[in-house]
Amino acid sequence: MALNPTEPKWSLRLPADCSIAAIRNVYDLIREAFGRQERLEIDCSSVDKADVTSIQLLLSTAKTGEAQGRPVVLTSFSQSLRNTLRRAGFASEAMIDQHFPQKKDGT
Amino acid sequence: MSTMDPTEVFRQEASELFEVLEGALLDLGQRPDDRELVDSAFRALHTIKGSGAMFGFDKVASFTHEFETAFDRVRKGEIKPTQELISVALAAKDYIRALIEDPQSTDDIIGEAILDDLRRFVSSDRPSAPVAEIAEAPPLAPNESRQAGWHLYLEFESHILRNGSNPLDLLEDLCKLGPCFVVPVTDGIPFLDEMDPEDCYLKWDVKLHAACDKDAIDDVFMFVQDEMKLTLSPLAQVEAPAPAPLFQLLDEEPAPPAETVAQVMESAAPVAAPPAARPERKAEVASEPKSDIKPETAPARREDAKQERGIATVRVQAERLDELMDRVGELVIAQARLTQLASAGSDLSIKMIAEEIERLASSLRDTTMGARMVPIGSLFGRFRRLVHDLSRDLSKPVEFVTSGEDTELDKTMIECLADPLVHLIRNAIDHGIEDSATRAANGKTEQGRIELAAVHSGAQVLVTVKDNGGGLNTARIRAKAEEQGLIAAGAVLSDHEIHQFLFHPGFSTAQTISALSGRGVGMDVVKRTIENMRGSIDLSTRPGQGTIVTLRLPLTLAIIEGLLIRVGEGRYIIPLSAVEECVELTAEDERSRGRNFLNVRGNLVPFLRLRELMAASGAPDRHQKTIIISTGETRVGLVADQIIGNHQTVIKSLSKLHSDVTIFSGATILGDGTAALILDVAQLVAMAQSKVEKQHISEAA
Repeated sequence: MALNPTEPKWSLRLPADCSIAAIRNVYDLIREAFGRQERLEIDCSSVDKADVTSIQLLLSTAKTGEAQGRPVVLTSFSQSLRNTLRRAGFASEAMIDQHFPQKKDGT
Repeated sequence: MSTMDPTEVFRQEASELFEVLEGALLDLGQRPDDRELVDSAFRALHTIKGSGAMFGFDKVASFTHEFETAFDRVRKGEIKPTQELISVALAAKDYIRALIEDPQSTDDIIGEAILDDLRRFVSSDRPSAPVAEIAEAPPLAPNESRQAGWHLYLEFESHILRNGSNPLDLLEDLCKLGPCFVVPVTDGIPFLDEMDPEDCYLKWDVKLHAACDKDAIDDVFMFVQDEMKLTLSPLAQVEAPAPAPLFQLLDEEPAPPAETVAQVMESAAPVAAPPAARPERKAEVASEPKSDIKPETAPARREDAKQERGIATVRVQAERLDELMDRVGELVIAQARLTQLASAGSDLSIKMIAEEIERLASSLRDTTMGARMVPIGSLFGRFRRLVHDLSRDLSKPVEFVTSGEDTELDKTMIECLADPLVHLIRNAIDHGIEDSATRAANGKTEQGRIELAAVHSGAQVLVTVKDNGGGLNTARIRAKAEEQGLIAAGAVLSDHEIHQFLFHPGFSTAQTISALSGRGVGMDVVKRTIENMRGSIDLSTRPGQGTIVTLRLPLTLAIIEGLLIRVGEGRYIIPLSAVEECVELTAEDERSRGRNFLNVRGNLVPFLRLRELMAASGAPDRHQKTIIISTGETRVGLVADQIIGNHQTVIKSLSKLHSDVTIFSGATILGDGTAALILDVAQLVAMAQSKVEKQHISEAA
C-alpha cells in the first residue's frame, strides 16, 4: 500500500481488502498514484478480498493507462484475486493477458 | 424521526405480500395456465421465507419452505393447480399469516395437517419415472426441450453491488446447472476519472450447456431480476457434446456478424427456435469486440418492470397522515379567524394576505385529502377470498365481478367500509343467490353472479353490491313486520317502505334467516355504520332477478363544505351536500302553525322549526328562512333565523358524553373561535317523517 520512492518506478501495493467495502479508498489510492508518476506499477500480492469492483477498477486503470500512453504494470496477482478473476470468467492466462495487457508475473 | 421496529416493517411488508399471494392464488383458480401468476405467487412466498428468516420468524421460514417445496411442482408445470389445491394453498397462506401476526394462536398440528394436505395433492399424480417426466414436462414449448442449452447475456443495473448482490455468486449458481462458459464483457468499463468504483460496469456473456428449463435459470436470478437485464435465447447445437472447452466453443462459432446469426443458426439447427422471430436486437450487444461471440438476443422480459420503477411512491405511516390532516384542519380554522379579522378591519394589505392564505390553505387541504385517498380496489381484493370460501361452503357456484377499483376514497372510509360490505356480500350469497337446482328450474345460469362496483357521483361515491339471485320476498317481510307489530295489518305501504324494515334492529331473527329469502342479518348494523360515515344505504330488488344494495358515501370524513346558519343566538352547520335549496318562509306558511307543511312548487314538504328544536330564546327574526335538505328521495325543510353562508367545516367528533345526542353529528370551530354544531341530516329527516306520521295518526283518530 505504501509508495516506495527509492525504487526507480512507483510501486503501489494494493491493500488486503479490495472488496466493495473498501474500494473507494483503493480507487483514491490509484488515482493519486496515477497523478504522480508516468509509469505505474501495481503490486497485487497482498489482495485478500476481491470482488467485481476490484476487477473493474484494475480494468479501468489498465484502460486509462493505455489511453494516456502511460504504462501500467500489474504484478504478483494474489491467489484470492486470481480466484475472483476466474469466477468472473477470466478463465485463462491468455484472457487475463488480453484484458490486463501489461501484466507481468512477479513471482 | 421515529425509527420503526424492523419486525413491524416485516409484518407490513408481509401483509402486502400476502395480498399478492392470495390474489395470485385466486386468479390461478380461474386461469390455471397463467405462468406469470404461478411465478408471482412463488416470488411472494420466497420473499416471505427470506425476510421471515432474516427477522427471526424461524417457524414462518420453515413452514414456508415446505409450502414452497410442495408448490414447486405446480411451478414446474408438472401438475395443474386445481381448485382443491388452491383451497389448501390458501389455508397454508392463512397459517403463515397467523404465524407472523399472532404466533400464540397457532398450533403446529394445524400446520402439519395443512402441509400433509398440500403434499398429498402435489404427489397424488406423481408418475413412477420422474426423469422421463421432466423430459416431457414443457409440452407448450417443444423446441426448448430439445435444445442443447442457453445463451445468456447479463447486464446489471449500476447500483446492484451496493445492495449486496454479487454477480459472481449468480454466475456460480448458473454453473451448477451445467457446464457453463462465462465471458466477461469489459467494454462498459469507463476511464478512471469517470468511474464510480462501487457501480457495476462488467457484463457477462454466458453459454450454458445444459438442457435445463428456462425456469431454472430464472430461479438463479429471482432476487435480482428487477435490477438487471437478462437476455436469454436457446443455443442451437443439437448434437453438441456437452462440456466443450472454451477454445473449441469459440471455433464453433467463428464470430458471425449479428445480422447473419439467424441464418447460420437456422441452417445449423432447424429444430431450434428460429431466432429471426425475435423482434428486437440490442445494438450494444452486437458491438462486443473481444469475446468473439455475437449473442443473438431476445427482448429482455423485465423491461416493463424497469419502466414501472420510475413511478416513485413513498410509504407513510397512516398516523402521520391523520396528524397532517389534523394540522391542516387547525390551519383552516386559524385561516377562517384571520379572514374574519381582516374583513372587520380596513387594512388593505392584511386583506390581501388573508386572501392569499385562504387560497393556500384550501389548496393544502385538497392536497392533503388527496394524499389520504386510497383506491377502493385494495378493499375489493379481500372479498374475492370471502366469495371463494362462501361459494365453496354453500356449494353455490358464484362468479365475483368487480369494477371501479380505481375509485378513490378516504382511507378511513375504506377501513370503515370493510365490515358492512362483508355483511352485504355474505347476505347476497347466503340468501340472495339460489342453489343450483332452483336456478336451473328458473331458467337461470347455474353460476350465480355478484357484482361489486364503485363509481364517483358528484361529491359522493356509490358502492353497489348486486346479485342475480331471487330478490327480496316482499310479502314475507311484510308478514314479519306485522307479526312484530311494526306496522298495522292492512296498512298501505309501498314495496320500498316495506324493504326498509330490513334495517330495523332485530328485525331478522334466527328462525327466519333461512326461511326468509330477504336480508336482515346485521342489516341494522350495516345501516348504522354507513350513516355514521354520513352515507346512506338503499335497496332495490326485482323478484326473480336479483337485488341491488347501493351505498352512497361522502368522499372524506375530515373536512366538508357546510352551510352556516343562525338559530336564535346559536350557529349551526348543515352539510352542503344535503342542501337542495333555500326559500323564505312565507307569511302563509307561517300562519299554518298546526300543519307544518310547506308548499314548494306544488309539492308538500314537511318542515321543522329549528327554534323550537333548539329551544332558542329571544324573538325570532321577522323573515324566517327555510333550508330544504334531502336524503335521497325524502325532503324536509328546516326553518332558521338567518343563513350566514358557505363554511369550510373541519369536523370535530363529539365526545362520548354526547353519544346520546342524535340530531348533531359533530362540531366545528368558527372563525371567531366559537363552536358550532353540525346538524345530522339523516336524523332530522327521520324526525320530521315520524312527526308527520304522528300527525296522520292523530288526525285519523
